[in-house]
Amino acid sequence: MYKGMIVDDAAIMRMRLREILDPQFDIISEAGDGEQALKNYEKANPDFVTLDITMPKMNGIDTLKTLIEKYPDAKVVIVSAVGQKKLVFEALATGAKDFIVKPFDPERVRQSINRLFE
Amino acid sequence: MKAEYANPFIRSAKLIFEKEIKINLTRKDLVKKEKPAPTLPVSIVIGVTGPVKGQVVYSMDDNFAYSVAKAMMPNKLPNEIRKMINSAVSEVANMITGRASIEMAGENDMIDITPPAVFTGPGIRMDFLNIPTISLSFLSEIGILEINVALTEGKRG
Repeated sequence: MYKGMIVDDAAIMRMRLREILDPQFDIISEAGDGEQALKNYEKANPDFVTLDITMPKMNGIDTLKTLIEKYPDAKVVIVSAVGQKKLVFEALATGAKDFIVKPFDPERVRQSINRLFE
Repeated sequence: MKAEYANPFIRSAKLIFEKEIKINLTRKDLVKKEKPAPTLPVSIVIGVTGPVKGQVVYSMDDNFAYSVAKAMMPNKLPNEIRKMINSAVSEVANMITGRASIEMAGENDMIDITPPAVFTGPGIRMDFLNIPTISLSFLSEIGILEINVALTEGKRG
């Protein structure tokens, strides 16, 4: 079973993403900001990450840049309310595998994570 | 403040409530104010920077906030829902602002929004920017939602 980490400053979104992914994936870690996400990634070494953009301390784009620089094979899917075109391009160019705009359809999230391992 | 800044929030709020909370919002009033000070006891403040800058302040009463959380976690018990109220209303405000920012940014600009800050209860003092504000209110089956949009032109590029 693939291991995942959920990064979102809203506890309710972490809970919902966990409920969507839990039956199929093993959610081994959660973080509420970018700094914590980087620390947790190093410890937990997940197979994939869902990453929010608007977060305190370190936003999702800076977190993504740091993560990809350190772990070029990291599989990251952005899950954010801020789906502006320029931001989507920046995230994908930095190395995100997909960009899901909130509010999301649970099936869209599952499909996106499944596609990472095809 | 340009009235056109309010329109993305009207469209976005209706869409997010329909998709996420499964209720319809009906536009009630549009009032002009000197700053985005809220009139209801639960407030969520989000800062905006970029080609459009300022503050957006959402406000609602306690029952409205509880109903939002309940709609987002329908299978949970009341005490679990109560723990998540601030997180739920923050996330809804984040989604509305995020969706409106997509429209305002267009093809070539990028608008940054800050993580939401929630303030509850009477007697809380908050400082608001002195930006002419359009205060929108919406009616719904769970009560009134107020959105105070205080935005002005910022830096492009």
